[in-house]
Amino acid sequence: MLSRVADALFWMSRYLERGEHVARLLDVCFHLELDLHGVLAGPAELHWTSLTAVLQSRVPESDGTSTPRAAVTRWLTFDPANSDSIVSCIARARANARAVRGTINSSMWRELNKLYWRLKDADFASRADDSPHEFYQAVESGSCLFQGVCDATMDHDEGWHFIQLGKYLERASKTLRILDIQYHLLAGLTDPSELPLANLQWGGVLRSCRAYEAYRRLNVGRVEPERVVELLLLHPTFPRSVRFCLESAATALQAIEGDSPGRSLPRGDRELGLVLGELRYRDLDELLTGDLHAFLGGLQSGCSSVSSAVQERYALR
Amino acid sequence: MTETSSIAARAVAVNSSSGPFHGYHIGDAYDELFERDGRPRPHYRQLYRRLSALSPDEFRRRKTMTDLSMLQDGVGFTVYRQEEGIERVWPMDPIPRIIPAREWEQIERGLTQRVTALNLFLKDIYHDQFILRDRVVDPQLVYGGSYFRREFMHAPVPRDIYIHVCGTDLIRDTDGRYLVLEDNGRTPSGVSYMLQNRQVLKRVFPQVFEQYDVRATDDYPASLLEVLRFIAPGGRHDPTVVLLSPGVYNSAYFEHTFLAQRMGIELVEGRDLVIDDNRVFMRTTRGLARVDVIYRRIDDDFLDPLVFRPDSTLGVPGLVNAYRAGRVALANCIGTGIADDKGIYPFVPDMIRYYLKQDPVLDNVETYRPLLHSHLSHVLTNLDKLVVKTVNESGGYGMLIGPASTAEQRAEFRERVKAFPREYIAQPTISLSTHPTFVDGGRVEGRHIDLRPFILCGEKVVVVPGALTRVALPKGSLVVNSSQGGGSKDTWVLAE
Repeated sequence: MLSRVADALFWMSRYLERGEHVARLLDVCFHLELDLHGVLAGPAELHWTSLTAVLQSRVPESDGTSTPRAAVTRWLTFDPANSDSIVSCIARARANARAVRGTINSSMWRELNKLYWRLKDADFASRADDSPHEFYQAVESGSCLFQGVCDATMDHDEGWHFIQLGKYLERASKTLRILDIQYHLLAGLTDPSELPLANLQWGGVLRSCRAYEAYRRLNVGRVEPERVVELLLLHPTFPRSVRFCLESAATALQAIEGDSPGRSLPRGDRELGLVLGELRYRDLDELLTGDLHAFLGGLQSGCSSVSSAVQERYALR
Repeated sequence: MTETSSIAARAVAVNSSSGPFHGYHIGDAYDELFERDGRPRPHYRQLYRRLSALSPDEFRRRKTMTDLSMLQDGVGFTVYRQEEGIERVWPMDPIPRIIPAREWEQIERGLTQRVTALNLFLKDIYHDQFILRDRVVDPQLVYGGSYFRREFMHAPVPRDIYIHVCGTDLIRDTDGRYLVLEDNGRTPSGVSYMLQNRQVLKRVFPQVFEQYDVRATDDYPASLLEVLRFIAPGGRHDPTVVLLSPGVYNSAYFEHTFLAQRMGIELVEGRDLVIDDNRVFMRTTRGLARVDVIYRRIDDDFLDPLVFRPDSTLGVPGLVNAYRAGRVALANCIGTGIADDKGIYPFVPDMIRYYLKQDPVLDNVETYRPLLHSHLSHVLTNLDKLVVKTVNESGGYGMLIGPASTAEQRAEFRERVKAFPREYIAQPTISLSTHPTFVDGGRVEGRHIDLRPFILCGEKVVVVPGALTRVALPKGSLVVNSSQGGGSKDTWVLAE
């Protein structure tokens, strides 16, 4: 496979996953806002603050004509100046797909292209304000549809593995980021009177990782931070957990590398192995009583070095 | 472009009480669907009947389906002019053009003859130059052509085939006679639209399609691959063939990906290739992989910055040397541009007589060459009636269409033609045949069209039974190029 093609597949997949992620976060935020009205007396700023923190995005200056919420959603959804806005992500995913149209099949291209043109459609874009759920849900569905078509119709060859690698590395690092920020922000909600609020907020964290229902199947009662960390970080078979993502990334890397006994292990594989060791064998209580922030930070930088090792090895970009 | 006065003069309205054809005007030009008296031609009757039954709403719905299919499949091209290309969807008209078997038989014979002569001509001028010595073609005309590559004199070419893929543009005069307007022997494009239009049309009008015995075109990519494998250096058994594209910003990028995918070969860009010891390799995730045949969709000028334009970043340094050394084959060959130079075009019928001892099956459009003194004065005094073309421009650029021109444009061309007579040719304004075409409001009007069939030259010459029909969408326009408001139609070649 051409290195340039592998590179484009990898980034196509990452940007699509990123776009989906931002869409889901915004969707969850809109819902949370409605829920919080019934719980809080004062203004509900916390979840919008955490949103920009999670996305490591600066909050655009409000121009005075729109509410801060509108400014944030516009920036995160449509602004072409924001390279991580949903529209930018989908456009970049499509630009990469376009560069490898000979490698992906026409059904995959059509799904991504449809999503792109849908977001460009002014009528549809106006729904982001009127009916945010419908809008953000469409982005998420578009991404899922693409992934489904990809898995069902593309040969699971080297190119497919590069797509998986991009997707899982992106998902793992975004999930780590959410856990890191939210665990810190919500740590203060310990007073019994704040339990309903904490319950809502933690539910939001799960929803923004599409893990709420999975959590409910495993646990009863109010959402507990410890169980959230366990599910999102360490669960071995849940496809949104960091461990699952990185196990899948490792599988993809091994498939790309092929069997070559005697060859020294590439740096990407080693980095990934070290991170996975932590996730497989660390004790949860030890994590929670220790410095979770430092631990999650370590994992995040582990993910970045895997990504750069991959690009170095396969001469991507 | 304004409607030429002659077209409006003798208009005949089609006598159809209702339906999309109501009030259809048949002008002076040859209409593909209607006879002069307004009756549909026999091979169009079924189609006419079907379309007449469609309500404007239904017709509009089919047109929307067509547009949506093209958009979602990403059948785009890029228009230059601005710094960055803009992506556009190539508009497809939902009404197909139909060519009966006996007309196609003549086209096929004529094109085979023509491209055979062009390949013999190229081999001749790059080797023995008999045709120049016998003064059938003026040597100055060849040496003065900007696409003549003297550095490739006597360079061996696999199987002596220079043009492997040719797209020849045909038009029809007022009597319906097919004439050759130009040959495209460098990197002709449009074949993917021929194939894509068929797919879309089958979705939009399945019932109409069923009624006709239309010859299939799907075999094109396989035939092209056969040609490319045939020219592998040293007759290599299982050659690696790649398609070399300038990248996503090229106007024909969709076509490049389409063909690469259909042939099952790698689409590469210049930066994917490296040359080592005159051998060509592509950079893969597993190291370098050898390349034997390159179907290049990059012009000569951009192929190799060491030989041609040093500022080109699209090409591959050292590629030309590898080609000269016979380590890699290129399709089409370097230097074929001299054969589709419009200054050489008037001599193609002579080439056919010279090399093949045959009369041309398809005639050229009458052409004046300002280089000849007698022609020059005719051209200068008739600028308002003629079409003046720059010999090495394509895509509808660098043209003067006399009847539609302004006095300033004519004055400008007058000076240029006098100063550089080799650079121009002039032809009478032929109004091109018209074809019923969907227009806003769910109705049908006549629009001018041309025809670009595709010819493959490998072990034998193959003319794919289909073509790209380009249509000038603005009313009265004679310019069919996609970059200038043109669209396309599916083209049905009938089996019987």
